[in-house]
Amino acid sequence: MSFISAENVRFSYDEENRDVLGGVSLKIEKGEFVALLGHNGCGKSTMAKMLNAMLLPDEGVVYVDKMDTKDEKLTYEIRSNVGLVLQNPDNQLVASIIEEDVAFGPENLGIEPEEIRRRVDESLKAVGMYEYRRHEAHKLSGGQKQRVAIAGILAMRPSCVVFDEPTAMLDPSGREEVMTAIRSLKEKGITIVLITHYMNEAVLADRVIVMDKGKVLVEGTPREVFCEVPLLKRHSLDVPQATELAYKLIGAGVRFTKMPLNAEECVGFLEEVLK
Amino acid sequence: MISGISFGQFIPGKSVIHKMDPRVKMVLLIAHIVFIFCTFNFASLALVSAATLAVILLSGISLKMYLKSVRVVLIIVLITSVLNIFYGGGTPIFEWGIIKITLSGIYRAVFVSVRIVLLILVSSCLTFTTSPTDLTDAIERLMSPLKVFHIKVHEIAMMMTIALRFVPTLLEETDKIMSAQKARGADMESGGVIKKVRAMTPVLIPLFVSAFRRAYELAVAMECRCYRGGDGRTRMKTLKMKGLDFASIVAEALLLSGIVLCNIFLTSVI
Repeated sequence: MSFISAENVRFSYDEENRDVLGGVSLKIEKGEFVALLGHNGCGKSTMAKMLNAMLLPDEGVVYVDKMDTKDEKLTYEIRSNVGLVLQNPDNQLVASIIEEDVAFGPENLGIEPEEIRRRVDESLKAVGMYEYRRHEAHKLSGGQKQRVAIAGILAMRPSCVVFDEPTAMLDPSGREEVMTAIRSLKEKGITIVLITHYMNEAVLADRVIVMDKGKVLVEGTPREVFCEVPLLKRHSLDVPQATELAYKLIGAGVRFTKMPLNAEECVGFLEEVLK
Repeated sequence: MISGISFGQFIPGKSVIHKMDPRVKMVLLIAHIVFIFCTFNFASLALVSAATLAVILLSGISLKMYLKSVRVVLIIVLITSVLNIFYGGGTPIFEWGIIKITLSGIYRAVFVSVRIVLLILVSSCLTFTTSPTDLTDAIERLMSPLKVFHIKVHEIAMMMTIALRFVPTLLEETDKIMSAQKARGADMESGGVIKKVRAMTPVLIPLFVSAFRRAYELAVAMECRCYRGGDGRTRMKTLKMKGLDFASIVAEALLLSGIVLCNIFLTSVI
């Protein structure tokens, strides 16, 4: 069985409205880096909250490491196993002092003080914020705050971290900082689910899942998914700039053997074509 | 403009007072305030004043900061001491119509003003040398016996922690909203008090809305981090009393015995 598996999940926030999730099935393997895409209101944030038992499906089941999220006895085990990092870095930090905030998660789990200290130092080092451990949260930049939020999740030692648009409120340098932190988690073997609007971030994933109107529209490797330019366009979704350029060039009669995903690839392929 | 306010007034440092256990500091502060109000003659008042001054000097914080906090209550000190002058009993030394000034009235005035000043000095010493998080931590631990009476000690401390965390965030947001409203032509400077207060409505409403949204998001984030109230929760920082703390308790006890002796062997003047 996959590490996370959602089977035919249906969900709506209230009775009258249409389903936010209309039967989503997806599987995420251990150590995988999955990007979840889709435009606003397609249910991807709702799906993120399904993965750590913040929301429970109306129909269908979600299993996390063989644990059913509907089992109330397992709720906190699931939440410490699947961490969720939210969009707004300001609204995720609980304590004024960085290290005290990072300690919040393990404190809730009832861990011994010395072990909490060890975990806090380790997580802050993992995101490169150790030197700031005695600083006040409100004096940090957005990117730094978001890295502290990631450290706060890491201190619970999760095997999977779900990021719900972690870079949406950051400037380009903050976005870079957070993406570097996310990639270093992936190297540590932590499963990553990244919800994003930025296609150049999605390209870094092992697998891309595109959602639309509460359903999975298409999934596969970034190259497979972004080759489907017309399908994505039809659902008003973006593709990476390089891919879009190649798509337009193909339309104009240029022959590309493969779809490029980033600028470097695009340059390489264009050189080949021009020879 | 607003971000100029520093909340809690914590001034980091490495003095002996900074290093004390916050719980001990709080308990001693309360004891000291009681002592200040248990002085009935000049000897004991001088003793308490000397002790307070010693603590202030030990805190290693410039006297300017202390004077600033005293200045805030200066008017209250003046009004209460002037009122007290006329309330003394005994034979008047000055009489004019219904106004009578007696020696005990003057003594009263002196005692009241010195006591208020000492009270402010010693309490600002606590806030200057203790970080807000340490303070809430100390309050939570000192109040924990109250759990027997079903008082939600952990919840109170958690609320204080969150409030302290969001004060700077909300101040920043207020500034932003004010700028945004000014950019749309809102006039916040002109007019009398009532007009100015009215002009704050378009600032306060968005601020409230955003505060509620923040509260909701924070609740989600806290639940994601397995928060489920105070039961079974451990703390990273464990407070431990050191030699320094015991020494300061002994010093405070000595002060108490000094005051008691003064009060017994010297006549009270008020």
